Amino acid sequence: MKIAVCVKQVPDSETRITLAAPGPELDRSGFTRVLNPYDAFAVEEAVRIKERLGADCEITAVTIGPDRAVETLKKDCLAVGCDRAIRVNEPALENAEPLQTAKVLAAVLRRGSYDLILTGKQAIDDDSAQVGPMLAELLDCSQATVVTKLELGEGVFTATCEIEGGAAIVRGSLPAVITCQKGLNEPRLPSLPNIMKAGMKPQETLTCADLGLEIPVARTRITTYSPPPPRAACRMVAADDPAAAARELARLLRDEAKAI
Amino acid sequence: MPNIAVHIEQSGGAAKKVAWQMTAEARRLVDRTGGEVWAVVLGDAAAAAEAGRHGAHRVFAAGGDAFARYDAETWTRALAAFVAARRPDLLLVGATATGKDFAPRLAARLDAACVSDCVGLDFDGGFRLRRPIFAGKCYAEVAVDSPVAVAGVRPNAFPFFAGGGADAPVEEFDPGLGGFAPHAAVVETITSAEKKIELTEAEVIVSGGRGLKEAGNYKLIETLAATMGAAAGASRAIVDAGWVPHSHQVGQTGKTVSPKLYVAVGISGAIQHLAGMSSSKCIVAINKDPNAPIFKAADYGIAADLFEVVPALDAAIRALD
Repeated sequence: MKIAVCVKQVPDSETRITLAAPGPELDRSGFTRVLNPYDAFAVEEAVRIKERLGADCEITAVTIGPDRAVETLKKDCLAVGCDRAIRVNEPALENAEPLQTAKVLAAVLRRGSYDLILTGKQAIDDDSAQVGPMLAELLDCSQATVVTKLELGEGVFTATCEIEGGAAIVRGSLPAVITCQKGLNEPRLPSLPNIMKAGMKPQETLTCADLGLEIPVARTRITTYSPPPPRAACRMVAADDPAAAARELARLLRDEAKAI
Repeated sequence: MPNIAVHIEQSGGAAKKVAWQMTAEARRLVDRTGGEVWAVVLGDAAAAAEAGRHGAHRVFAAGGDAFARYDAETWTRALAAFVAARRPDLLLVGATATGKDFAPRLAARLDAACVSDCVGLDFDGGFRLRRPIFAGKCYAEVAVDSPVAVAGVRPNAFPFFAGGGADAPVEEFDPGLGGFAPHAAVVETITSAEKKIELTEAEVIVSGGRGLKEAGNYKLIETLAATMGAAAGASRAIVDAGWVPHSHQVGQTGKTVSPKLYVAVGISGAIQHLAGMSSSKCIVAINKDPNAPIFKAADYGIAADLFEVVPALDAAIRALD
């Protein structure tokens, strides 16, 4: 079985966005970048499948990103069990929209015949949650999104997908694109010796030209970044007597905020 | 003059709330710019008759066995056939589990702009869509550059139609599926045993965090939530501690919510949590520590012991009725 895991390096969830006023750019200089947390579930799932299947399984980690993304491929993918890595390095794709990303990833994936393509349910920077289903369309294959359980059979899969108020069981044929949700597994941490050894695993760096692909045109453009709408200062309810405070809060919520 | 198509998602024979919310917002927009709102109904035609009252000018319906169970490929093909036949300028899809599953696939098939989770919709010769990014730490205004664009719309971002719409004619369209068999499909749907209100659709959310001290005390949150007709949420800390399932988590690696009222109990307000709930219309914080960052995000605060305040608030809300 050949598995591809598509990953993205993103600013970590503690990142503060400093934006005093609306503007055309976002200052991304101070960001601490990590593996997208949902992609970690995809990497872990691939490694667990390989552990079950043994040598008959190869995992390729794929990303699009500048040189700093090498660290994520090495530490969070190769060091925890992926066999090889492919990075598309194309400055024009910095902050690419999901459709551009999906077209480039599809070009990479078409070069191998992958049975299973795993990725996170969304990246926590642009929150688009689009690349997985777009890949499935571009590759004309099955998809299952927001998956919390995955079972594989001979050429088929069964996935448990999180939906409003429950779960949907999706069954289909391989190849398939699966987008991974928290709860699917518990990602392991890389050990120091494995991080050292990860550098020995094959890593390929490509450009769109290497893929025989023109850089895809963006269909969307962010014209303005703006801070969230400002909120008035918090009105503190005197808390000397909790019961009285609770009554006052209930009254404020009904009469002033009209929220209940 | 833009024509806006709206996908009317149905569940158990009824349209999802977000379907009518976005129909209403599309109508408010075209009332300013000219153009029409087209409701698109796949499968069960029950919702088609209602669409006019919610602001649609016309309704396009496709029925048949192909829509008996959901799969992303069938929905993608049917809506792509609709777009090819009618050429709307924008197609709105609810940002529900189903909508998020097929909308990007459809956009890829159409080679169209795709914008997720919109909370604002405008037109000045081209569409301007507003959406939160970084789980709401920042908002982006997005211009689209393709003949048709697909946009996801977040539930509860827009009010329902108040204009008293007229009945809209229902026209059949050919979804072009002739013998199509998808690679994968939903074979079973499992509803959670407890009848719980879904976080992303809830008008009121009560969430608990570390301040609850132990897993068993989460029942305080569930009790208050039941009293308020609210969904029960949680901080990442108590999800990671295994007190409650991940489906309850609010924040950057959980659900992003924007209810009318969000009550944060014993939650200090880590940046990743604030990101997931700060677009709520009214925020209440109950926390022992008056310096907790949650109070900076809140409209109303009580700095006191939650074990005293929460039962008292439960009683006070019951006493209101």
